[in-house]
Amino acid sequence: MNKVQSQIPHESAQHHVTGQSVYINDIDHVANLLHGRIVYSPHAHARIVSYDISKARKLKGVKAVLTYKDIPGHNNIGPVVHDEPCLAVDKVEFIGQAVFLIAAETEDVARAAEKLISIQYEPLEAITDLPTAIRKKNLIAPPRKIETGNTTQALKKAPHSLKGTLVIGGQEHWYLETHAALCVPDEDHYKVYASSQNPTETQILVAEVLGLPSNCVEVEVKRMGGAFGGKETQGNHYACWAALLSCKTGQPVRISLFRDDDQKTTGKRHPFIIDYEVGFDDKGVISAVDFVQNANAGYATDLSMAILERAMLHAENAYYIPNMRIIGRAYKTNLPSNTAYRGFGGPQGMAAMETIIDRIARTLGKDATEIRFRNFYGISDRNITPYGQMVENNRLFTVYDKIIRSSDYYNRREVVNKFNAAHKYAKRGLALTPVKFGISFTTSFLNQAGALVHIYKDGSVLVSHGGTEMGQGLHTKIMQIAAAELGVSIHRIKVGPTNTSKVPNTSPTAASSGTDMNGMAVKNAVDKLKERIAEVVAAHFNEKAGKNSSRKENIIFENDVIYDSTNKKRCLAFEEAVTIAYLKQTSLSATGYYRTPDVNFNRETGKGKPFHYYTFAMAVAEVEVDILTGHHKILRTDIVFDLGDSINKLIDRGQIEGAFIQGVGWCTTEDMKYDKNGNLLNHSPDTYKIPTISDIPEDFRVTILDGIPNPNTIRRSKAVGEPPFMLCFSVWLAIKDAISAVTNHKKEPAFSIPATNEVILSAVDSLINGIDSHKATKTQREKK
Amino acid sequence: MPAYKNSIRFILDGKITEIDFEKEGLSPTQTLLHYLRSLPGHKGTKEGCGEGDCGACTVVLGELINDKIVYKAVDSCLIFLPMVHGKQVITIENLATHKTGKTILHPVQQAVIDENGSQCGFCTPGFIMSIFALYKNETKPSAELIRNALAGNLCRCTGYHALLKATQKVFKEKKEDHFSKNEPKVKALLTGLATKDVITIESRGQRYLKPFTCQQLLELKKTFPDALIVSGSTDCGLKVTKKHEVLPLIIDISDVAQLSVIKKTKNIWHIGAGAKLEIIRNAVKKDLPVLYDMLTVFGSKQIRNMATLGGNVGSASPIGDTLPVLFAHNATVVLQNTKAEREIPIAGFITGYRQTIINKDEVITAIRIPVPDKNSFIKSYKISKRKDLDISTVSACFNLELNGDKVKQIILAFGGMAACTQRALKTENFLKGKVWNEKNVQTAMPLIEKDFSPISDARAGKEMRMMAAKNLLMKLLLDTNEKQIK
Repeated sequence: MNKVQSQIPHESAQHHVTGQSVYINDIDHVANLLHGRIVYSPHAHARIVSYDISKARKLKGVKAVLTYKDIPGHNNIGPVVHDEPCLAVDKVEFIGQAVFLIAAETEDVARAAEKLISIQYEPLEAITDLPTAIRKKNLIAPPRKIETGNTTQALKKAPHSLKGTLVIGGQEHWYLETHAALCVPDEDHYKVYASSQNPTETQILVAEVLGLPSNCVEVEVKRMGGAFGGKETQGNHYACWAALLSCKTGQPVRISLFRDDDQKTTGKRHPFIIDYEVGFDDKGVISAVDFVQNANAGYATDLSMAILERAMLHAENAYYIPNMRIIGRAYKTNLPSNTAYRGFGGPQGMAAMETIIDRIARTLGKDATEIRFRNFYGISDRNITPYGQMVENNRLFTVYDKIIRSSDYYNRREVVNKFNAAHKYAKRGLALTPVKFGISFTTSFLNQAGALVHIYKDGSVLVSHGGTEMGQGLHTKIMQIAAAELGVSIHRIKVGPTNTSKVPNTSPTAASSGTDMNGMAVKNAVDKLKERIAEVVAAHFNEKAGKNSSRKENIIFENDVIYDSTNKKRCLAFEEAVTIAYLKQTSLSATGYYRTPDVNFNRETGKGKPFHYYTFAMAVAEVEVDILTGHHKILRTDIVFDLGDSINKLIDRGQIEGAFIQGVGWCTTEDMKYDKNGNLLNHSPDTYKIPTISDIPEDFRVTILDGIPNPNTIRRSKAVGEPPFMLCFSVWLAIKDAISAVTNHKKEPAFSIPATNEVILSAVDSLINGIDSHKATKTQREKK
Repeated sequence: MPAYKNSIRFILDGKITEIDFEKEGLSPTQTLLHYLRSLPGHKGTKEGCGEGDCGACTVVLGELINDKIVYKAVDSCLIFLPMVHGKQVITIENLATHKTGKTILHPVQQAVIDENGSQCGFCTPGFIMSIFALYKNETKPSAELIRNALAGNLCRCTGYHALLKATQKVFKEKKEDHFSKNEPKVKALLTGLATKDVITIESRGQRYLKPFTCQQLLELKKTFPDALIVSGSTDCGLKVTKKHEVLPLIIDISDVAQLSVIKKTKNIWHIGAGAKLEIIRNAVKKDLPVLYDMLTVFGSKQIRNMATLGGNVGSASPIGDTLPVLFAHNATVVLQNTKAEREIPIAGFITGYRQTIINKDEVITAIRIPVPDKNSFIKSYKISKRKDLDISTVSACFNLELNGDKVKQIILAFGGMAACTQRALKTENFLKGKVWNEKNVQTAMPLIEKDFSPISDARAGKEMRMMAAKNLLMKLLLDTNEKQIK
């Protein structure tokens, strides 16, 4: 196997640093371009009584004002369940729901037109928070269950048990490029430049709202300025709205959101409230866990049930739980529909499990790392998940052995203890947390990908595939894969923009699966081309030599040369071979296809093998908390990662560091505050605080393990996009550990996500003033 | 007043650009960002938030100061176009050079590529410009200094580590770049752009006046008492970018040279109302370390490069971070009209929520801050959700003078606890004459509740504000003890 040229920077890096990379708003030279504007609902729940758009339509410079009546096709843009109107009909269900669309010559005119629209609403009762939705049993879909063993009985038998509730906040994606779309009409063809992780779905929905077949709509995604799940389904909306305005006016229309509008109107990471009960023995070995996961879906289904499913499938994280019951419920609220966000429910599911481990440790007076170690999935036994999949190729102990040593965990624990004994108002905390993340879409049919590879006569190669580039370096890895598989230097390879006319019927670039699936599809296409070229080349060698000694299976593609491995003198430069193949009338274009083998999951029984494999990682974080101000700083973080044979360590490191910091933001400073009417209060970076460069660990050490190839994946690599996000629990629990030191780890601090300085101060206050949140939630039996 | 001309001139892409607002139908409050993005080949400067909180729109301004070009990173989304008059505007497109079809990257660009400092690329131009400004101004910055210079740029992809490493790397082999080589030429151009007469721009129903001397300013304020005074527009800019207000009448004081003066006479720092916070910060580091500390966590470098002390004082926001510091230093505000000057103690200047005693014909010309007495222990605190580029939940500055172990004098000035910056007078009174120890501080802490009743908002709940304000008294005790130990 040819080696990949590893450690190359992002393929667009030079364009990025020179400001030449083009995003939707940078697309220039579009003649007659109109500005599209969305008119939003100001109510969380209201009936539309009446409206008048006639004045707005008459304003000079206004080209169209659309209502739901102007939609030629279906008025629905729900990605899974058809419960999202493209434009509101007779009611609105969240603040920010689209009611009208305006196309005007300039932004100022569009804004002025909006002011001329009159609309009367009759406000209805709104549910704007999860506790109310739970109390009112406002489920958005039937509950789900995954169960193994006999949880009720095992909990009764357990020597110790604990129960409690974890409140987990949402998270704004805060991609730097806000939502945008540009539609350019041409006869009966609509070309949409979208900022979408799922061009095929964008194409389908645009076609549906326009009432056209899919072959009339072409969606192209060159790159996104960040997405993180926020553009998996919700980028579709802007494409549909721009297309509707384009269809009406016959002119190109661009819609792009101002930051505040993006934050106010789009879905977030799902807030969860998780109730838990755990049974364990004196050593901290867990015998049973009972979870009820409650998710805030927002006003529509969107991807909520898949997200809930992933939360349930990660509820046990890296630990073997023989008796486990996970009930999952998603509730409807009058908020923007919550949506995919890096980790896709995994973080919420794991957070409760890590809380349990942390509490067991405090209860037994042991180090939490010891409890984790005792409960890790086994190699040859204790290795069946609650959903019945066996944990194969378990790397937990490999990663653990490495990080315990490289982070000097136990010595530093001593140092932390000494520091805490010597300081009353500054406390340090240390935590090790693991991640075991399942790779594959749990909706099994999505695990397929396509590619199209052209070799041009000059030996240059254009690769198209179904994956989208959002900064994660997918195209870079695809170039590396194509070059290595074809045995040519990477400079010959170019990856074109993702386009539904090049590769149809693709899955979203999500679930960390972009490289795994599209890389395999590209390999499949390259293999076909190599087969064809090898045949021509073998024939060419034989013809020249006058004897039939070269066979196509001995033809090797390596270092830009194609040769016969049985007679290395028989060789051709790659471009010579390509020319010969062309002259011999050979097709130098091939499609590629891949489906992930053997993945299945039965939602009814809650059993199956939903994942192709697992990615493993661990982190150790040390923090210092000022318990008077609630401020914290991350003194050091060590991360050890299993990525099989990493295709590109430079890019994988970027994914690890970036996801980790994004997770730290979710766990610490990023809280979403709403008023009682459902208005998001912090809808701009002024009040919504994602991490800055000052918030990263002072000492940040990332190790990607070598020498543990992953079987049965593209170039024996592993997926990286989401798993490092969940390493943020090391920081979150280190903060908790520091707070807990205030009362010498005797009391359980009240803790939630995010642990803002407000939460920290309040937890410290409760500890000092005698409230033990552990005692408050002890089970009846334990009190006896 | 002479209606001098309707146009401004500045350097863009190395050449002089002239804009006639009326002819081009441009609003004088057009932001630099939107202007740049409207030009062909200038889509590299990005809009991320339109409020100076993300830095995606960072450009660098070159200004001629004492015959030297000073390079400053600024948020172009907040800058009104006339503010760049007489300056050099450097954008991301200007960093690389092109020779016979080949692109020669600036060392900063190369370093970011080498360390894989870009992922989605959207924040990258802004980061490059911030690192570039640092590259032009520093030789061997510490990690702390780098973090401080880049805290105004948000990145959601990389986790910043690669960007930090890239910045450290580029300073290892610092080279002369093409900007250094071209400086003589640019200086000549900038010198040629210097103007002394008031620029009057009347376009799209707005009037924008740009004086260059204090006299011109006072005359203008007398003629147009309702004019909005703008310097860095880091606050007023939001009226345009976020609220879409049309500002009918503006006096832009950013180029009134006398207002930028910072000097110390007889142990009093005289800080011109138009002096930029970053310049003040560096000037007072030794004499007013507490002001330095507060300015270090004030906004971001881009904001401090534009924002002024006069602006922070004049807007009288309850969360203006410099105000508690000025309270604790017994600073005064100098007000001037065409006839007279008056000097008012800061506590008397601010009267309520964004209310001051300033008259319509007056402008703030300076803030005077006495260098604290050696016996005073002064300390400032800022409690915010995030360390950098965040607005205070609670800010405070305390001035403690002990007589032996007893409190002789104490000022406890708080921001974020009331409608305007206020002293905790009841708590102060309790502490006066008491022994400065843990027991008395603990007794004093609950008294804060008698001084303030804060509100809950998007930043924090009132309980948090109260708890934090009380705890800061204990912080002060710890900090005084630490000082004694040292």
